[in-house]
Amino acid sequence: MKKAAIAAIAALGLTVALDAAAQAKPEDLVKQRKAAFTLTAKYFGPIGAMVQGKAPYDAAIVTRNAGFLETLSKMPWDGFQASTADVKETRAKPEIYKEGDKFKASADKMQAEIVKLAAAAKSGDQNAVKAAFGAVGQSCKACHDAYRRD
Amino acid sequence: MSQSKHAIKIWDVPVRLFHWTLLALFAFLFWSGKTGGNAMVWHMYAGYAVLALVIFRVLWGFAGSTHARFASFLAGPRRMFDFARALLSRSPAHSVGHNPLGGWMVVVLLGSLALQASTGLFANDDIATEGPLTALISKELSDRLTTIHRWNFDFLLICAGLHVLAVLFHVFVKKENLVAAMFTGVKKFDGEVVGSKGSAVRFANSWLALGLFVLALVAVYLIVKRPF
Repeated sequence: MKKAAIAAIAALGLTVALDAAAQAKPEDLVKQRKAAFTLTAKYFGPIGAMVQGKAPYDAAIVTRNAGFLETLSKMPWDGFQASTADVKETRAKPEIYKEGDKFKASADKMQAEIVKLAAAAKSGDQNAVKAAFGAVGQSCKACHDAYRRD
Repeated sequence: MSQSKHAIKIWDVPVRLFHWTLLALFAFLFWSGKTGGNAMVWHMYAGYAVLALVIFRVLWGFAGSTHARFASFLAGPRRMFDFARALLSRSPAHSVGHNPLGGWMVVVLLGSLALQASTGLFANDDIATEGPLTALISKELSDRLTTIHRWNFDFLLICAGLHVLAVLFHVFVKKENLVAAMFTGVKKFDGEVVGSKGSAVRFANSWLALGLFVLALVAVYLIVKRPF
């Protein structure tokens, strides 16, 4: 009886926790997206400087950053929920929530290109890193052009 | 005014080289700007080249050959109005150099190109590319200039489209082959010519043009690299 009560309370607690996650404040979801993208830019930028010849190539940093990016690239997407469509502090277009499939395809493309970048970084082939870097940049741009306000 | 068929050399070599080089760069900038990725490095170099060309063309508008000069092709509102009216009628009024409307289009295109190149210097794409002067200003200002860079490009495309439509109108309706003239420098006329300075066309030295272009290149280099 006692065990059942504990289980019931635990289940209730879990449900409340899940509800809280599902009903995250729209403002917080926007913050989550921005935080993920801010870090993405932070770790993507130096790779750009290296493949563009503005900074000396450092294989260790490229590999580390690409690894970070693999994880970061998964983080923004569950923050794009229809509840955020009315938040002012975002440049995300409401089309995102009308074209869910297309938006998801764009997001998947970016993640796939980052996986390739990470693989290229591990191979140590600078030309491959440069090519993969360009493809990641294009996948960023595709989404920016389609789903971001001026 | 003069009658019957004749050919007058109007465009000097620098004007023709400027025109076609600009077209090639414009096409490349259009493509690379839409493509992004690793093409952006070359997008920026091509942008510097356009800035140098525009600076050169402005200088040449004061120091160049007769029909390259702003003073020869910037018409007042009355001449523009008269010309526009004559265009719609069947009277075949030919202009030797830029016509009164086309002359102002030159200014609009050059101004818009200058705006495009200079906002590009401060732009950023929020990915991995930023202009050589972006670090000098705030992110907010850079974002705003980037927006202008995007909008002004649409404006440029519209202007370039109007320019091409106008040229096609002259080629097919007015029977003036302006495209050939921009290659050969020689414009062929059949009939009445207005604003003719046929025998009075003075050609400036092409070496002077080269000197001015090098000067423009140095100016752009100093802006981009800021060695001081």
